[in-house]
Amino acid sequence: MTQYFAGIDIGSTMTKVVIMDSGIIASNIGPTGPEQRRLANKVMEKALKEVDLAFEAITYVVATGYGRINVPFADKQITEISCHAKGVANFFPEAKTIIEVGGQDCKGIKINNGKPVDFVMNDKCAAGTGRFLEIIADALGIKIKEMGEIGLQGNNPAKISNICTVFAEQEVVARLAEGVPLNDLVAGILESLANRISRMVNRLHVAEEVVVTGGGAKNVGLVKALSDKLGYALAVPPEPLLTGAVGAALLGKDIADKDLQDGVSLQTKERSLKEIKIF
Amino acid sequence: MAEEQKKEERKRRRHATEAAGKIGPMVKATIGGTVKAREEGKSIAYAFIVCSYDEIIRAMDIVPVWTENYAGICGAKRDATRFLERAESLNFSRSLCTYALCGLGFDQWREELGEMPPDAPWGGQAKPDFMLSSGQILCDPRNKWYQAVQQYMPDVPIYNVGLPWPLYEDDIDVADVEDYYIKYIVEELRGLIKFLERQTGRKMDWDRLSELVDLGERTWNLIWETYELRRAVPTPMGTGDAMNTMVPMVFMLGTQEGYDFFLELNKELKDKIARKEGVVKDEKYRLLWGGGLPSWFALTDFNYFNSKGAVFPVETTYRMIEPIYRLNIPDTNDPIERLAWRWIRYWTYWYDKARKRPGSEPDVERLIQYIEDYQIDGIVMHEAFSCRTWHLGLIWQLNQLKKIYKPIPVLRLGSNRQKKGEKRELPSLILESDIVDISSYSEVDTRNRIDAFIETLEQTKKNNR
Repeated sequence: MTQYFAGIDIGSTMTKVVIMDSGIIASNIGPTGPEQRRLANKVMEKALKEVDLAFEAITYVVATGYGRINVPFADKQITEISCHAKGVANFFPEAKTIIEVGGQDCKGIKINNGKPVDFVMNDKCAAGTGRFLEIIADALGIKIKEMGEIGLQGNNPAKISNICTVFAEQEVVARLAEGVPLNDLVAGILESLANRISRMVNRLHVAEEVVVTGGGAKNVGLVKALSDKLGYALAVPPEPLLTGAVGAALLGKDIADKDLQDGVSLQTKERSLKEIKIF
Repeated sequence: MAEEQKKEERKRRRHATEAAGKIGPMVKATIGGTVKAREEGKSIAYAFIVCSYDEIIRAMDIVPVWTENYAGICGAKRDATRFLERAESLNFSRSLCTYALCGLGFDQWREELGEMPPDAPWGGQAKPDFMLSSGQILCDPRNKWYQAVQQYMPDVPIYNVGLPWPLYEDDIDVADVEDYYIKYIVEELRGLIKFLERQTGRKMDWDRLSELVDLGERTWNLIWETYELRRAVPTPMGTGDAMNTMVPMVFMLGTQEGYDFFLELNKELKDKIARKEGVVKDEKYRLLWGGGLPSWFALTDFNYFNSKGAVFPVETTYRMIEPIYRLNIPDTNDPIERLAWRWIRYWTYWYDKARKRPGSEPDVERLIQYIEDYQIDGIVMHEAFSCRTWHLGLIWQLNQLKKIYKPIPVLRLGSNRQKKGEKRELPSLILESDIVDISSYSEVDTRNRIDAFIETLEQTKKNNR
């Protein structure tokens, strides 16, 4: 009988679900906004529907991300550090360093054989996170999705001196008024963000292969700026938002496999695909 | 109100030892005692811990008000914000030492009102007759804080005690220079005594001072022996408790009460060890609190570590003692000289060891010794944003440690897909917050980091099996 494993990564901005058997068979990504955060179960339902699978058919569910606590449909909670490590190693077995640029935080993870050995996090300040890009994109009147391409076209990146997101926003508006071309301004913003992230990640003594994940990895301009700053080529997974959920599902599979190997029956919880009541 | 009390109860940290549970009332009584002493006309001094003048002020019946302690209490009671904000409104930057800011805000308020600020935590700290600041090179607020607070108490004089020690150089032998330091410190302490005699109108009782210095030294030995009991597996006491038991160590040195406290703790730990009673039932990870003052408002984080099977048998913070018999203090009957030698030999205690390990430093050597003696699996440090001294030093210490000390064997997957054996450093976690300023703290984020760190420890242990 086929065993299915699900990983759900409830981040600050997006909720991601992956369903696996021997490989990924379904996935879904939905927003984790203030109104939607209770609806993580809906993201799971959509992923199940993709492969016409009942929730009860899932052998084991692992929840990760900031919203992992109190998920009524998960058997176990594992931090995003371990899940990203596992998920990235699935795509890049020789990866040694992960840079995860999330919606409201940023992490650096040093891994060995898919297991975390050290990590750093910025969870205190919007600067250095996807939120910084969202605010600046709003201030510039462009879509966040366009920022990477626009930035790549900037030949003379503007110097953005403020680290604080609020003051950087003011600075960007002022520079725009001064007549700095949009391309150069965006390139400067991405360079500033890359500087901020690399300062944090360098505490880990970055080693190759370096993989970038999270929403920030979808920004080609940011990835290039980070690569230039760190001096390493950076790898990006096929869907950089999903590595945490992939890792969660794989860690669930590891737990099931180990119990099988040890002759122990798999301990699952009484799961129900309900709304998250307490967040 | 009943609901609020319930909430407060839930937040209270669980102690592993009964002794630690007695500290709160002791501190409360001490602070209340400063107000009472003021009413009784006793001499009151603002004072800093670890300034080598504990026995001197005790011998002269001066009541110390430990201003850092009071700021910590305001923090622990989650009632520091109003004092920090007041200091900020007086134009002090929020990024200064928040102990100092809290004290400045409190003192200015008290002086402005002519009485304690409303609902002052544990009754408030009494106005001093004089302030004993310190040129001890550990941190500059110990000198600047009282200068700044003198704006609000211009009639309160300050004596600044210079307490230097030779900084570590691997090619300089302390023995070559320590006589100069001793001479200087002795002069400084004698100057302090003259100042205190002038202020109090009383003469120093030198026999009593000798007795108290002797008591202080016996207390150091007793504390060291007591804390060494924590090497036991499972450990009977963690850093969470040590953040309480530091009170008789650094605020009550030179008192019989302080000595007796550690006698009691010593007995309690031995009893626990005999019963194999640990901080947690199933001790999985033994951690070193490698430095940084704790977030006084978040001591329950130690309980959170415990809930994951992690314990802290040892810490560098507030372990401000070494066994006197290892310090090789020269024979002298002069209590001031004894205090000076104790000072110098304490701060240079790890120098010789560091010199023997290439690339090492005294603070790093101390970490290594603790890691080995206490069978440590990982290191946790706390970067308090407002404490420059610790903050700068911690990052440096951890980086130095990682360079020279790699005790964990691991298999790495090389680029040729072959596994090769290597050794790596202990896992470490740096918590980020503050000592007093709760606005710097997020329980969710802190505990997320702790969870991730515990998983890292788990993986490291699995890799080792």
